[in-house]
Amino acid sequence: MRRWLVLVLIAAAPAQAQDKKPLRWGTDPAGGAPYVYTDKTVETEKYIGFEVELAEYLAGKLGRTSAMVKGDWSKLPLLLKKPADQDDAIDIVLNGYELRKDLLADYAATRPYYVYRLVMMTHAETAKDKDLRGWADLYPSTGRAVKTVGVLGGSVAHRHVKKTFAEGVNVMTSEDVKPVLDLVLDRRMDATVQDNPCATYFLKQYPNLVAVGEPVKPGFYVIYYRKDDPALGAALDKAIAEGLRDGSLRKIYAKYRVWNEDQERLWYWLDQPWPPEDIEDEDLDEEGRAVNPWPRLLKELAGAAGVTVLLSVVSFPLAMVAGLLIAVGRVYGPRWLGFPLGLGVEIVRGTPLLLQLFVIYYLIPELMFQTHWDGLIWLAKNLTPFLAGVLGLALNYSAYESENYRAGLLAIPKGQMEAALALGMTRFTAIRRIVVPQAVRLVIPPVTNDFIALFKDTSACSVILVVELTRKYNELYNFNRDLIVELAFVTAGLYLLMSYPLSIVANRLERRLNAPAGGR
Amino acid sequence: MIEIRNLVKYHGTQRVLDGATATFRAGELTALVGPSGGGKSTLLRCINGLETFHEGVIRIGEDSELVGTAGKPHDARRLLAIRRKVGMVFQQFHLFPHMTAQQNVMAGPIHALGKSSAEAAETAKALLARVGLSDKLDARPGHLSGGQQQRVAIARALAVNPKVILFDEPTSALDPTMVGEVLAVMRDLAAGGQTMIVVTHDMDLAKQATVVLTMRSGKVSSE
Repeated sequence: MRRWLVLVLIAAAPAQAQDKKPLRWGTDPAGGAPYVYTDKTVETEKYIGFEVELAEYLAGKLGRTSAMVKGDWSKLPLLLKKPADQDDAIDIVLNGYELRKDLLADYAATRPYYVYRLVMMTHAETAKDKDLRGWADLYPSTGRAVKTVGVLGGSVAHRHVKKTFAEGVNVMTSEDVKPVLDLVLDRRMDATVQDNPCATYFLKQYPNLVAVGEPVKPGFYVIYYRKDDPALGAALDKAIAEGLRDGSLRKIYAKYRVWNEDQERLWYWLDQPWPPEDIEDEDLDEEGRAVNPWPRLLKELAGAAGVTVLLSVVSFPLAMVAGLLIAVGRVYGPRWLGFPLGLGVEIVRGTPLLLQLFVIYYLIPELMFQTHWDGLIWLAKNLTPFLAGVLGLALNYSAYESENYRAGLLAIPKGQMEAALALGMTRFTAIRRIVVPQAVRLVIPPVTNDFIALFKDTSACSVILVVELTRKYNELYNFNRDLIVELAFVTAGLYLLMSYPLSIVANRLERRLNAPAGGR
Repeated sequence: MIEIRNLVKYHGTQRVLDGATATFRAGELTALVGPSGGGKSTLLRCINGLETFHEGVIRIGEDSELVGTAGKPHDARRLLAIRRKVGMVFQQFHLFPHMTAQQNVMAGPIHALGKSSAEAAETAKALLARVGLSDKLDARPGHLSGGQQQRVAIARALAVNPKVILFDEPTSALDPTMVGEVLAVMRDLAAGGQTMIVVTHDMDLAKQATVVLTMRSGKVSSE
């Protein structure tokens, strides 16, 4: 059977080699409609979207087939750094990537294939209640509540909102569009700013969603390719020009309802010098002089490091207290209490922290809304990402701490309890004053170890829109492609700078408490 | 003072206490001797409720009584009342290792009787002086010899002012050189009229007793 298969493969191989290699284009399907998304009307997993069809069109023009390569959106350009002849490499990045100066330092860009604008969307009721009717309502002003605005982390929308409105808005970043949109629809978030293709698609899908203000800040989507492959770039530019002139691109865009007047500008740029000289640059001041980006970057990283520390020092004590109570309940409590506690611990330990954070931040509030009970709805609306993060970390780690404490309680000799009872203490007092203090001391090493682990696990909170150190690194990395390595070292250094003193304190505690051992 | 009637206790199918009956009088030191496995320690631990028993009655003083429960736990409030009258000293001391000698002695007054810590500290200092350990107030159990630990344990039992103190083989875990110091303390207590019941294999200790009872196969006999 296997021999037959080999024969078939050998027979098929030369036939393929004669054709040109497929055009491998990098994309992140999680970015979603209408760029690249799965067709829900068919059973098999088939991707559709205007960029899918654009890729097929371009590949066709080049006489090649199109091969989609999936990757994490923000890391797609890195795939271009792999040698082109490697199996998992890509030839182009084609996924709503805008023309940016930092990317041009490392990669070459084709002429634009789409002109996008930023669209602000909100819930129809939010627009009314919070008086959110245009971009101007986002500027800081006294007597007006700060609006929460969700954006894709590292997107142009993100940079625009952060730069333009600064203190006026509370920017929340996410990796995917969907969670942000759900939050806006649940009215837990005031607004979201997205590129117009995405906005068009979702405005049509959700009647409650409305666009407010004019679409702003036009920009170009371009295709990035290797600098050492100018032939490919020229061929792609030619294909784009032809597609514009013969209406093929318009047809594709119209099919997904993303064609608009802005696209007329694409013709103009077909015969202008490319790329243009005056691309917006974060690191230039108003007179066009270069600004050292590090003071700003370090300030932002330090702020995010503060959030990481705050998450840890608030959630871990909660985890310790809950863990201790669970352990005491399991070891000394009645059976009807011990069994469900044990089950709960197994469930929490057996599921990923990421999933628990998702459930706490997205799912439980969703269920609370459905109760239609005012108190619960109030709670759901006020569950901030930070609070959900603290709860999630505390819940997750309480399970591990309860196991530590349980081991500690079980290790205390029975005679200790008997001696306390014989003195006339109640069982509760004996547990509280005699057994627990000894058990707690006994398990200090594993508990401090867990604290350091939790400290690093806080990075999971980025999935629920908490901007802690890892999230901030990803965001800055997106805006500063030319400083990737430096940023990584600084971020790692910050983590180390914070966790190393913890280890030292832990070691000291251990030594001090272990000194007078024995003699029970 | 303590009256035990027809105590029966099973470990599985084995009848560890087989209708044990005995009376312990106030102000006396009673020694409970006999071969290993005869039920001495079990009987002692039944008196303050660290063990349950199946049948029979234990009467302590005028107003406290434990009745056989067929192995189920005793009523918690009744146990508490009894334990506040009956102290205990263990073979393995069971001092609280996370506390100093003085804190060990203070634990009962503070956590069982609700005394203030100042008052408890006074009591503890006096009692540790009485057992000859005034210089070890701040020592942790891990830094004390076996004999010193057992003397702290006796002071700890005395601190809650019990009517009776039960000693479960108090000298068996000690080096021979340290037995003397513990015996001296017990002799001092006996001279002061403290009611004590001592389970022991130590004949020197048994000789000091006012009454010696022998336990064999779960039954008590006086000799």
